[in-house]
Amino acid sequence: MQNPLNTPRKYPIKVLVWRATLFTALWWILTEGNFVAWGVGLVSVILALVASLILFPPGTSRLSLTGLAGFLGFFLVQSVKGGVQVALIALRPRLDLRPAVLDITMRLPEGRSRVLLANTLNLLPGTLSIGLEGRYLRMHLLDKRIPVESGVHEAEVCIARMLSLPLEEL
Amino acid sequence: MDILDLSSAVLLIIGAAFFLAGTVGLLRFPDVYTRLHALAKADNLGLGFTVLGLVLQAPGVAAGLKLILVWLLALAASATLSFLIARRAFAKGISPWKPEEHEL
Repeated sequence: MQNPLNTPRKYPIKVLVWRATLFTALWWILTEGNFVAWGVGLVSVILALVASLILFPPGTSRLSLTGLAGFLGFFLVQSVKGGVQVALIALRPRLDLRPAVLDITMRLPEGRSRVLLANTLNLLPGTLSIGLEGRYLRMHLLDKRIPVESGVHEAEVCIARMLSLPLEEL
Repeated sequence: MDILDLSSAVLLIIGAAFFLAGTVGLLRFPDVYTRLHALAKADNLGLGFTVLGLVLQAPGVAAGLKLILVWLLALAASATLSFLIARRAFAKGISPWKPEEHEL
């Protein structure tokens, strides 16, 4: 795909309807349910649709709705855990940190999903991504006495399910 | 004061507490990496509780969803930003703080 704007491409109607509905809903939310500015809204929805087709061409990965729900559930619980944990460490009278650097091998395939994992881990308990090279993800741990690897692997599984991606062998 | 206002006030106070803890971490933690831990995780929870508290007072469904959208965007921004800052710091050779080098 060299120049997506000039190359006529066929997009499945289902994808177009789905995305247009999503952006219309977003516009409805942004204007707080007020459709007075529907002219601007129509232009915005069309521009958003074009931008999404360029940036996320259909067919690269399929979003699974049950996978999305699973990811959100996992993320909410773990980010609350992460926030509470770091808040307690910060407020403890005696600061007790044991930082460490840990490299792990990712099982997610090459592409956006690895970046998504690196970003997600910043909000999960004890992990901060500091490098991404090939299959290796380098993380900074706030406290090496608290194990994080099972959490990282669980996050990988959730992301793979959400984007309908296969996990590679370690 | 009805039950909705009360729950909203409680959620807002919890949110403020997480913002406070995140800021305390930012001031007390020794290096860029540990500070990013505190900021990203505690502040997102702070914003999450603040948004929940405000959603209870929102005038309509769309206004409530807009608040949640604000939270999701801030979440994505802070997760991405802390990765970019930490990656740059590590690539520049800023080594993480270790307790052995200092007094425990």
